[in-house]
Amino acid sequence: MAYANDQDTFLYALSSNNAWAGYKSHQNPEFFPKLASGQSPKILWLGCSDSRCPETTILGMQPGDVFVHRNIANIISPTDINTSAVIEFAVVYLKVRHVVLCGHSACGGAAAALSDSRVGGVLDTWLTPLKAVRNAHREELQAIRDDKARAIRIAELNVQQGIDVLMANATIQDAIEERGLDVHGVLFDIGTGRIRDLGFGTRKDGGRGGSPDEVVRGRHATLVFRGGNASMKVNR
Amino acid sequence: MAEEDISKYLRQTHDRVFEHNRAWAKEQGEKDPGFFAQLSAGQNPEYLWIGCSDSRIPAEVITGLEPGEAFVHRNIANLVCNTDLNVMSVINYAVRHLRVKHIVVCGHYGCGGVKAAMTPKDLGILNPWLRNIRDVYRLHEKELDAIPEEEARYNRLVELNVVEQCRNVIKTAAVQQSFAKDKFPIVHGWVFGFRDGLLKDLEIDFEKMLGDIQKIYNLTE
Repeated sequence: MAYANDQDTFLYALSSNNAWAGYKSHQNPEFFPKLASGQSPKILWLGCSDSRCPETTILGMQPGDVFVHRNIANIISPTDINTSAVIEFAVVYLKVRHVVLCGHSACGGAAAALSDSRVGGVLDTWLTPLKAVRNAHREELQAIRDDKARAIRIAELNVQQGIDVLMANATIQDAIEERGLDVHGVLFDIGTGRIRDLGFGTRKDGGRGGSPDEVVRGRHATLVFRGGNASMKVNR
Repeated sequence: MAEEDISKYLRQTHDRVFEHNRAWAKEQGEKDPGFFAQLSAGQNPEYLWIGCSDSRIPAEVITGLEPGEAFVHRNIANLVCNTDLNVMSVINYAVRHLRVKHIVVCGHYGCGGVKAAMTPKDLGILNPWLRNIRDVYRLHEKELDAIPEEEARYNRLVELNVVEQCRNVIKTAAVQQSFAKDKFPIVHGWVFGFRDGLLKDLEIDFEKMLGDIQKIYNLTE
């Protein structure tokens, strides 16, 4: 039966961790001692629990870089104590610089919200805010013929709604005022692996827009910002 | 830092994310041209991972699991509270709809949430959340009080918290009913150590724990 194979996958995760830990400490003996000394992530990631959206992996970042909360359909409810505790800890105590709310294409939660049937259990209650988004934009969503495109559109609207909730959060408001915390709404396209800035939050233009080139000289490299892109050159 | 430097720095740290994401997407696409097409077709993860929000424990990175293999919920101090509809929705969806085979509750030594919970301070909105950890301490007060060294005592509290949250997962209707019918999911308790990067399996006896809680929490009839 399938169970034996499942147990193999389970053992794989543990043995793979062993190999990863060995590789990491071989590559950089300081890696784990540094991790053990504490965390100072710059980014709070609020995303979906979906197995296809592993934040640190898709961002190409390392352990220690991203503080994470993931729930069903990346719903931000103002009275949800779980998300509120995460925001408080990350913004007040860890002083992250960016809050990133990320939706994604082909989201099961979005599909459920677009359908008229019940999901069952506590899920219908949890998905209520997303249902409300659907009802508020019923006509626009109905006009989209393609199922995939409709799911992407409701995911965008869901991020927009979540950003509104984040911008109304007292802790986040204070941090924007006091130290320029940035709040961003983005969408991850599972079909291409790319993240798109939706332009919601503290930077309404979704980046630099048409501003001229900007060059930042660091100690080891020079960063050039051009339009929506950045490139890096190693200093000689 | 001058104001202009700060805004430049913020722009850089944000743009770095997009830069890295582009590099990652390109690399994955080159390694396996069908990768993203297959991903967008749907998910069929074997695992539900309930871990801490701590930036140092990205589930997929430390376990080597690929995108699509683990459904993930992360919150402060990997808590599973019975009235929290957020985590309850995650468990419900993972068990009943995705039919995961394993649920892992993963804590970590040196957990800031566990430390904060034991600090005699009013932490505002964090109070109701962290209270659950104080309750775990109260359940194991004798054992914990007997550990003289502070770090060792915290580390033991981290382990006991994981065990208690595993118990809370097992108490859910979704897990009890699914196991009665299909013999899965199995619930595991792990602890991640930063000093060596290794996961420690607390080797929870899942079936015994299930039998024990069902005296009071049975939801299968």
